Amino acid sequence: MPKPSKGKKETVATPLSAIKIKINGCWHTFEHERDIKPTMTLSYLLREKLGYTGLKVSCDEGACGACTVIMDGKAILSCMTLAVAANGHEITTIEGLQKDDPVVEAFAEQSEPGYGTALQCGICTPGFVMSTKALLNENPIPTMPEITEALSGHICRCGCYAGIAQAVTHASEKIAKKGEKS
Amino acid sequence: MKQPYTPRPNSNRKFVGGYRPRIDALEKARGKVEYVDDITLLKKFPGMLYARVLRSPHAHARIKDIDVSKAEKLPGVVSVMTYKDPEFTSLRPTNAGWTDGVDTVSYDGKMWSEFNDRRVLGDYACWVTDEVGAVVAAESEEIADEALRLIDVDWEVLPFVLDPIEAMKPGAPLIHPDMTKTNVLPPEKMGGDDVFLDKGDVEADFDQAEVVLDATSVHHNATQASLDNWCCLVDWTDEKLTLYSNSFEADQSRMHICQMLNLPMHKVTVISSYVGGQFGRGDTGEQPFFLFTAILSKKTGRPVKFKHTRRESFHDSRQPSIYYGKVGAKKDGTITSLYFKSIGNTGAYADHSIFALKFAPLEISEVSFAHIPNVKLESYAVYTNKLPACMMRGVGNSQFNLIFGHVVDLLAEKLDMDPIDLCIKNFGHEWENLPNKSLSEVLKQGAQKIGWKEKRNKPGQGPTYGKTKKRGVGFSLHPAWHAEWQEVRRGHIPISIALNPDGTVILDAPTVETGTGSNTCNVLGCAESLNFLGVTPEKILWNHVVNTDTSLKDCVQTDSSVAYLQSEVIAVAVEEIRREVLERAEPIFKVKSEDMDIVDGRIFVRENPEQSQTVKEVLFQGDLVPIVITKSKLANAQKTGVPYFANFAEIEVDTDTGKVDVLHLVVINDCGTVMFASGAEAQQVGGQVMGLGETLTEEIIYDEITGVPLNFNFIDYKIPTMADMPEIDPILLEIWKGAGEYGACGIGEGTLTCTPRAIMNAIYNAIGVRINDIPIKPEKVLRALGKV
Repeated sequence: MPKPSKGKKETVATPLSAIKIKINGCWHTFEHERDIKPTMTLSYLLREKLGYTGLKVSCDEGACGACTVIMDGKAILSCMTLAVAANGHEITTIEGLQKDDPVVEAFAEQSEPGYGTALQCGICTPGFVMSTKALLNENPIPTMPEITEALSGHICRCGCYAGIAQAVTHASEKIAKKGEKS
Repeated sequence: MKQPYTPRPNSNRKFVGGYRPRIDALEKARGKVEYVDDITLLKKFPGMLYARVLRSPHAHARIKDIDVSKAEKLPGVVSVMTYKDPEFTSLRPTNAGWTDGVDTVSYDGKMWSEFNDRRVLGDYACWVTDEVGAVVAAESEEIADEALRLIDVDWEVLPFVLDPIEAMKPGAPLIHPDMTKTNVLPPEKMGGDDVFLDKGDVEADFDQAEVVLDATSVHHNATQASLDNWCCLVDWTDEKLTLYSNSFEADQSRMHICQMLNLPMHKVTVISSYVGGQFGRGDTGEQPFFLFTAILSKKTGRPVKFKHTRRESFHDSRQPSIYYGKVGAKKDGTITSLYFKSIGNTGAYADHSIFALKFAPLEISEVSFAHIPNVKLESYAVYTNKLPACMMRGVGNSQFNLIFGHVVDLLAEKLDMDPIDLCIKNFGHEWENLPNKSLSEVLKQGAQKIGWKEKRNKPGQGPTYGKTKKRGVGFSLHPAWHAEWQEVRRGHIPISIALNPDGTVILDAPTVETGTGSNTCNVLGCAESLNFLGVTPEKILWNHVVNTDTSLKDCVQTDSSVAYLQSEVIAVAVEEIRREVLERAEPIFKVKSEDMDIVDGRIFVRENPEQSQTVKEVLFQGDLVPIVITKSKLANAQKTGVPYFANFAEIEVDTDTGKVDVLHLVVINDCGTVMFASGAEAQQVGGQVMGLGETLTEEIIYDEITGVPLNFNFIDYKIPTMADMPEIDPILLEIWKGAGEYGACGIGEGTLTCTPRAIMNAIYNAIGVRINDIPIKPEKVLRALGKV
């Protein structure tokens, strides 16, 4: 057990009265217990309370990636994150992306011969899109092994992995082009 | 750079067969598409309750008594109902036979009426997880779960059996003692006798054939694992019952509810939107939860939602089958006799076992073994206390292909023949002389792409890579089962086209979009047929919501054939639209309609083409009422045979660790006509996730002592991810052609059917030792190599 450091005032954890989370650019304030119970997951808060249904809860235990959202620039599993843990953080859901977001566009457009489309039933797609956003934020020109590693926490039962990998490379190219223009 | 496919010469399609995004791609990529769990949030249904059902902790048990008093007192619990309530005791027993694979049937017309082995809510449980005894409606899922824990059940725990061979033995625990005297399902009218095909004299031929070989292959309980967990909401607070669900069949669900609850059809509404993957899951009748959710809604006077957890969604599976095969042949490779016998583990309920074990093999023998004089097929479906086995993508065919491709590979080796030549020499349907063009081309192109001649070694004799690794190639071949003549049982297929005065179209070609892409196929078909009016795919609205009050009957997503069935009807409806447009042009041009024509969206007078106006210009001078054509038609019954498909695999086995790496898969489908190339290739590539998973990593594991399934989750049930997938080459061909405008054949369902056997034959080619039960995990490889 860590000893309290001498000379400093011991900090006692006080229950949060208000929880503030920035979601898709807007700060939301929630009251502890009334709006957010300590056991509530972030995925539950976003879907059931706030109606951000783009993220999906399928396995509810961090195995499929369908609930992926971005927190402070990194992809996280919202079914494995407590809502209270998002206090003070910035969350982006798929609803927070623009229609012409290069990743969204690349996933939608993928139809080049030999790879299939990047989505079929579409239920895993928002999760893949958000992980791709986080990947390209950090690594704008990923290699194929890097793409594979970044996206292998996701299950696509329709099996569009080849199309998805193409979409990621095309998204990367789109972002580079936009960068050149600006 | 990969190459696009080559369309049939002179087909001149403008939209059909194109490489393009799906019509719903942008909506899906943006997360805008709503699935049932999204449209049934509490905020959209104020007062909504959550239902949960008691599940058996025992593999086999009967409830002696049940006490729900503590559960009823839990704050937040609104209703607890049990099997003793008249709402449940009054219901007829049912089964999964409501889905005749394809069409809508009544209670009396459903299949497998000999095995009405399911109760909506009974006192008897046949597998661990079985829904039994009691249902709860509460203010939250957590409260409902807690209420279940407060129910006291006095169980009579019964002996159980998991293995079908054990279950067949006299004295084995009987799974449905009220219904059958043995665990073997008795012969019934659809599947026929135990020996359900006996052509020629197989036994006599085996006695005299120059070569006779036999083999065994074992397929297992893989599961569909759609990410969209089973879910429904029923609002039966008033006279009318409304069901929102992610079932793949709306009209059939309505019939099921009406017949089971004795309601008139106009008092039941079924609404289906997008579904997050289906893969054969959830045949009507094996989802009693629609009914108990409805009963809870009526009882409580509030809308009730029932949703499976991921664990509970391990609810359907492929039927594990043990297949024995025997072949007799001449030394020149002419097969003279074939015999297959199967024992299928149907699990706790019969569901569609007979379809898998008898119907599918019979169809295969009709279209592939027509030139073989002696063929015998025999099968036994056996109840056990395992997860029920039902429809799963490739029903029956996947299991059959495992033995079929095995026998082919064995015989070719014995005869020192290339198995490709053996297939070309023997297999084809009865309406065509051998060799079958489709089959030959499929195998030729697959062999070329995988590098068959260069890479195939004598079994186990190839070079060693990195000290311990051996490589091999293999293939497996199968007849498609989705040609139009095989879809006649669907009955009429209705569509409706509304041509708006501005030249845009609203297409009512209802089907529950489960990801197959048939929506895009039929929009392309509609644009193709209506292109003379200037219609393009972008001008067509396809309505994705099926609502049984307002939609036409939905074309059920089975057999992958929705990809062309509605387009075939649209192609026939075109003349009516042309006629009506021209009639509306008559008063404007003051010319009889038969003297006018329409090309590229312009109406003109034949004798004086200068006299012309666009369709929009003409319609805007009229009453602005859309032209609506509703048309339905039966599938074309003309027997045209079927095309073939095959998978080729190149694999690498690490002989030290036993790990199998698939290096390359080639998936070749003769489609008849490619309706939508990007979608078809997505099915070819995508199906390999399931195919590879079934072959190498996916497996439901039971504790043999208790009968408890141990891995009903996505951590321990290993579905391949991006990192696990090899390079895949999809090849689309247009060789065979069926009847009708397109003469296409559904391909999506079968794309995984040949994957296991192709990989297994490749493993044999690599290491010279056969492993014939999947999944092939490293320990099996090491055991086969004598290293364990």
